[in-house]
Amino acid sequence: METTLFHVFRNTPLGREILMQSLYFCKQTRASINIYIPEYTKFLMYYENDVVQVDLDDSYLTQPETAKEHAKVLAADAGINPRFIGPMNFTASTLPDLPVDFDFMCCPRSISDLTSKLTLGHIGPKVRRIINSARFPVLMPSCQFKEWKSIMVFFGGSANAVKALKLGLHLSRTTGKPLDLFTQAGKLSKKHFTGILEERGLADQVKDCVREWYFFDQGKFEHNLYDVPHNALAVLGAYGHGLVKEMLFGSTMEMVQTTLTNNLLIAGPNYVIPQ
Amino acid sequence: MKKLISWRYPARLPFFRMDDRLLLISIGVIVGICSGLAAIGLNRSLIFMLEGLHHLRHLWWAFLLPAAGAMASSIFLEKIMKEGAGHGVPEVIYSVSRYGGLLRFRSSFSRLISACLTIGSGGSAGPEAPVVMSGAAIGSTIARFFYLNDRQRTTLVGCGAAGAIAGIFNAPLTGIIFTMEIILGEWSMVNIIPIAVAAVSGAEISRILQGNSIVFESSGFHITGVDLFASLGLAVVASFASVLLTRTLRRMHGVSSKVKVPLWVRAGIGGCAVGLLGFVVPEAMGEGYHSIHAMIQGVFKGGMGIAAIAFLAKILATSLTLGWGGSGGIFAPCLVIGSFAGLAYHRFVLFAFPSAMLVNEGCFALLGMAGMMSGILQAPLTGIFLILEITGSYEVMLPLIIVSAISTTITHYFEPASFYHKDLKERGELLRPGTDSRVLADISIREVIERDCIAVSPHTLLREFLYTVKRSTRNYFPVEDEETGRFLGMIRLEHIRPYLFNSVMYDTVFVEQIMDANPETVRYDDNLSEVLETMDAKRLFSMPVVSNDRFVGMVSKATLLDKYRDELNVQTSQAF
Repeated sequence: METTLFHVFRNTPLGREILMQSLYFCKQTRASINIYIPEYTKFLMYYENDVVQVDLDDSYLTQPETAKEHAKVLAADAGINPRFIGPMNFTASTLPDLPVDFDFMCCPRSISDLTSKLTLGHIGPKVRRIINSARFPVLMPSCQFKEWKSIMVFFGGSANAVKALKLGLHLSRTTGKPLDLFTQAGKLSKKHFTGILEERGLADQVKDCVREWYFFDQGKFEHNLYDVPHNALAVLGAYGHGLVKEMLFGSTMEMVQTTLTNNLLIAGPNYVIPQ
Repeated sequence: MKKLISWRYPARLPFFRMDDRLLLISIGVIVGICSGLAAIGLNRSLIFMLEGLHHLRHLWWAFLLPAAGAMASSIFLEKIMKEGAGHGVPEVIYSVSRYGGLLRFRSSFSRLISACLTIGSGGSAGPEAPVVMSGAAIGSTIARFFYLNDRQRTTLVGCGAAGAIAGIFNAPLTGIIFTMEIILGEWSMVNIIPIAVAAVSGAEISRILQGNSIVFESSGFHITGVDLFASLGLAVVASFASVLLTRTLRRMHGVSSKVKVPLWVRAGIGGCAVGLLGFVVPEAMGEGYHSIHAMIQGVFKGGMGIAAIAFLAKILATSLTLGWGGSGGIFAPCLVIGSFAGLAYHRFVLFAFPSAMLVNEGCFALLGMAGMMSGILQAPLTGIFLILEITGSYEVMLPLIIVSAISTTITHYFEPASFYHKDLKERGELLRPGTDSRVLADISIREVIERDCIAVSPHTLLREFLYTVKRSTRNYFPVEDEETGRFLGMIRLEHIRPYLFNSVMYDTVFVEQIMDANPETVRYDDNLSEVLETMDAKRLFSMPVVSNDRFVGMVSKATLLDKYRDELNVQTSQAF
């Protein structure tokens, strides 16, 4: 089955790096790429139970006359034939609607605020809402193009983490890249996690496909992240605990993304694993 | 915690799962109250602003007030809220048409503030449409909070709109009818009850907080046959006024969009022009309800000429305000323009036929309002019930029906779509419930793709191909390049029929020689209506879906019909 990645192109050096990341991802996963070159600084994405207005910063409208050519050249270098898409409809005359039936979407850590893009910072509210609402995982690339050589799935045992693991297994099969697991166990034993895997029918697949399981029952989570290979694609689930719990205890994904410079692939609570 | 979460999903509770009537009624009450409060909030804010700025109206620079208001409104909407200008009703209809009533939370308050700035400073617009937008967005937000499905969400959007109209006019029936005629475009039992309850809630909250008063109370009118006859002419005048306002507004949009300045400057220019116009014709400023009061009471001082000038000035002022980027609706301006038209017509008839025994001119002002509303909205029932409820003049029912019906019919002849639907219709985005295009719009190509096709190589011999046919249940086979996987064409059973009875050909004919190298294909984002049209035109029963030069699957009429029926069931499913 053909998979498609959706990319909003920004005609700047930073946008070039991010498009290169998307193209590399597409090449590895044999996905096609749909590129949107914005004509307005805002657009709407209608999901099943939410409508997200994405307010882009002005850099997305830089030199629109050269944007398509630049994107084409980068895609040609990667050996990919891109498809340029436009708005499906318009909710208001300056407010286009974009389709949401993709398999992946590439999104910088913040899409509305240029100041925080060159650093890791926190995930912007728009990106957070996209992750929360989308049925597809969001690729959140690092600011500079870097090829990833392996896949690292963050597995904490939750339902979302299981989805992330299935996504990681699928990517590993498609790309042929080795798969590693990272678990910050806390007080739980490894048996607890293997039990979850057995319960979900993943134990055999994990045994066959996982190269190494980074299992930490000691040390702080953010300190242990140092062991994540610098050239791994980090796959993790997000926002699976509900608003109250996340407000009280914080989000693991938010901590990972503020600490790790790796490319991240984030599966939100509404992510649906393709059959 | 689990109990708390279960309340976020009330539709899943066993009690509501059987019959969601009570669920929608209960949430409809909340939505109606919130919409009513939003309407009252805007009403009070407008009074506050109008009173606060009243002492400045006599100063020489007062013409700058509408400009400042329109600029502030535009900056607020564009820079802070990041929304487009306008009143927002088409946005509500669009979201109901295409996305099951999904609206942004910010819309629940953004239009209220921007309309308050525009109208409060003297811009010629009405507060009703922003309140409808706000109420609808409140309904949508509450529906999203409770994870309701599309149909339930659409009903709550309707509840919000009905509650808002009921709250601002103290007119629950108008709220219900406006929602059914304009917003939802369907009369179904599923919707009517929750919407009626929401309208009552909105009206009641308005009565509690603002008192149970009729907006434009009138002294009784005694209608005779002469008045009925005269109302025919008024219907023609009202329809003329409706067409004139619609076209002037659109023309103003066109002119303003050619002025290459920031939107807020554009809004300021429009506001400034309204301010200057207001020096000459003060009746053209603001929502204009004072003038309506005077006309209905029969105490409007100006003569026929003044009424006609005020009529034209109000059309111009409204077009300048809304066409140049101000925020607000056309309900109130329509009422003012209609009443001026009715008054001018009454005085003209008396001038031409001094012996005519016509009813008081206030009655014709009232009929003019109904004709104008019905014409511009092309919703006669909304026009009739609005006027009945806001004036309490039930004795004018007969001429009201005549004027509304004829005005709607004549306006429809010149403007086939109502003011709210026109843009959507032109963009092909007005999809009414239960229609073919609405059902197909909710089905994507991905949902109807059949993937169980066996691909063959172009170098396959006919004999090998026959083995492939034997193990397949399909009549069509994609031909793909062996190395690149590129889609090259299709081969169907009918292509091999001429060779089937000649076994010599089995080892001499290759697939690439007999395949259709240039078949009609479908892309992922193609519109299913267009795909069906192509199938009908070319007499095809299925078409290959191709993406990035690769075969993805087939789309067939049979699968499409199955999916169509499922979708139709979902869209029209009635829980009660």
